[in-house]
Amino acid sequence: MSLKIKDLPEENLFTKGHTACPGCGGAIMAKIAMKVFGKNTCAYFPANCLLVFGGTYPLNAFKVPYLHVLFENSAVCAAGIKRALNKLGKEDVNVVAFAGDGGTADIGIQALSGAAERNEDIIYICYDNEAYMNTGIQRSGSTPFGAWTTTTPVGSKIAGKERFKKDVPRIMIAHDVPYVATASISYPLDLLKKLEKVKNMKGFRYLQIFAPCPTGWRLDPSKTVEIGKLAVESGMWTLYEFENGKMTINKKPKMIPVREYLKPQGRFRHLTDEQIDILQELVKKKWERDLAMAESTH
Amino acid sequence: MYEVRFHGRGGQGAVMAAQSLADAAFIEGNYAVAFPYFGAERRGAPVLAFARVDANKIYRKTQIYKPDYVIVLDDKLIDLINVAEGLSKDGMAILNSTKKPEEIQLENEVRTATVDATTIALDVLGVPITNSVMLGAFAKATGLVKIESIEKGIMDIFGARIGERIAKKNAKAARTAYERTAIGTCKGGRIFKKEKKWLPTYKELPLGLATRAMKTDAGLVGPGSFVENKTGSWRTFKPIIDKEKCIECLFCWFYCPEGCISRTSNGLKIDYDYCKGCGICANECPANAIEMVR
Repeated sequence: MSLKIKDLPEENLFTKGHTACPGCGGAIMAKIAMKVFGKNTCAYFPANCLLVFGGTYPLNAFKVPYLHVLFENSAVCAAGIKRALNKLGKEDVNVVAFAGDGGTADIGIQALSGAAERNEDIIYICYDNEAYMNTGIQRSGSTPFGAWTTTTPVGSKIAGKERFKKDVPRIMIAHDVPYVATASISYPLDLLKKLEKVKNMKGFRYLQIFAPCPTGWRLDPSKTVEIGKLAVESGMWTLYEFENGKMTINKKPKMIPVREYLKPQGRFRHLTDEQIDILQELVKKKWERDLAMAESTH
Repeated sequence: MYEVRFHGRGGQGAVMAAQSLADAAFIEGNYAVAFPYFGAERRGAPVLAFARVDANKIYRKTQIYKPDYVIVLDDKLIDLINVAEGLSKDGMAILNSTKKPEEIQLENEVRTATVDATTIALDVLGVPITNSVMLGAFAKATGLVKIESIEKGIMDIFGARIGERIAKKNAKAARTAYERTAIGTCKGGRIFKKEKKWLPTYKELPLGLATRAMKTDAGLVGPGSFVENKTGSWRTFKPIIDKEKCIECLFCWFYCPEGCISRTSNGLKIDYDYCKGCGICANECPANAIEMVR
C-alpha cells in the first residue's frame, strides 16, 4: 500500500511561523518531507533559503536535530554523522541532507559525488528552485535556458541565461547508486511514494524535488503548485525514478506547448519566439533522451 | 539635511522607494543617498530602508536612528513595531492607513499624514505594493520635493528595474496619493513593550549544541520554536473555507506552505495567526470552497 495524503500525520515537524515568502515551494517540500520521515530524523543544511527561513538562531522551525553545514559539504557531513550514529548503535535514524539546487549542482557537487561513489547510507534531497534564491536570485547550474536572474540580466545583446539546465539526476544515475528520483511538490502521491521509498531504503538515495519559487520566478504566489504541474505537463521537468539499475518514467507528459509553462512567469517574459523554439526543441530532446534511457534499462 | 526612514515589508519595495526619493531630490539639485538595512529578510518580513538628502555633500554614512521623517508602507506595522522610534519632534510620520491622522496613536504627538495606500495600489497597480504611492504622500505632506520630481524619480528607478509601462503606472499611483493625502497630528502616548531577553547564555546550553528546545524570557527557542513568530500580519488577502462546499480532499492541508491548516473533528481549520495569504489553498481547491477576501 502506498502512502496517501490522508495517512500523513497531523503534527508538523517543520512548524508554522517560519519566514518563507508567501507561496514558497521549498516550505511545502520541507513540511511534507518531515511528515513522512518522522521524528527519528536528523537534518543537515548547507546555505540555502530553507536554512534561513527555517532556522534563524535561536528560532528554529524543525523539531528534529538540525545542523547548518558549509555550502560545499552537506553530503559528506551527513555521511559522517550517519557513520557516527551507526557506531553508537542508532542505526535506524534517517540522516537527511536538504540542499538547494545551487548547493547541489554547483557548490556541493564534489562532496555529493564523493558520498555517492562511496554509497554512504544517507538521503540527499535537492529542492530545485532553479537559482540561488537565498542571496537574491542569481543563476545556478540548475537555472533553465532563457531565464532572467540578477546575474543573467536581460539586455540588448544577452537576454537571460544562455546555457541549458544541468541535469543533476542523470549525473547521479551515472554513479549507479541504489536510488535516484525526480519528484515535484505538485504531484502529491508520486512525491509521497518516493519519500517513503527513500526513507525505507539503505545506501545512497538522491531525490530532486521541483519546488517553484514565486519570488524568484516573478510568479503570483498562489500559482506555485499550478506552475509545478505545467512544468511536468510541458516536459520541462520529468518525473522518473532509477532503482537498482532500472529507470521508470512515473508520469508521461502531455507535451503541452512549453509556452504555456513560460507565460505566467516574469522571469521568461522577455523571451523571443526564436528562444522559445530553442527551448521547445530542447524539451523534446530531453524527453526523448529520458524515454530512451528508461527503455534501455528494462 | 533631512533624513527619511522607510518601514516596509520585504517585497513592498521600500528600497526602490528610498532610491526614487533620493533620485527625485537629486533632480532638484540636492545631494542624496539611499540604502537598505540588510538582514535575512524574506518577502513579507518587516524591513527598513533609508534616504538622506542635503544641499551639501553628505559625509554621514550610518543607518538613520533619528529620522526627520518616517514613511510606513504597511498599515499593520504601526501596531507591531515602534515606527516613530527616534523620530524628531519637528518631524513627521507618513503612514499607510485608512484612518485620519487624528485617529492614529504613536509614541509621541507628531505631525502625521495618512493615505489609504493599499487601496490606491490595488486600484492603480492591481497589486498591494505601496512604495510609489507613499512617495506621492511624502511629496504632499512635506513639500520638500515636487510631485513632478517624484514622478521623474519613479520613472528613472522603476523604469530601469521593471520597465517603463509599469513605471508609468507607479508614477500615476504616486500622483493619486498626492491628491488624497490627509495631514494632521496624531495622538501620542503609545507604549511599546521593551524587548525581553531572547538569547540563552552559553551557561544554559549543553556542550556541543547551539540551542536545545528551551524557554527564555521572550519565549521558546531551539527546535520547533518558530511558532513564536506569528506571520499572520503579512497577509493582505484572507482565505475563507466554505464548510458546505468542502469535500475534505485535503489538498489545501497538503499544499499549505505554512502548515497552518489543520484537520479537526469539525472539518478543516485555518490558523489566521500564521496564514500569510499566499492563496495556494484557494487556487488548488477542486471544489472552489475557499475564497480569498481582503
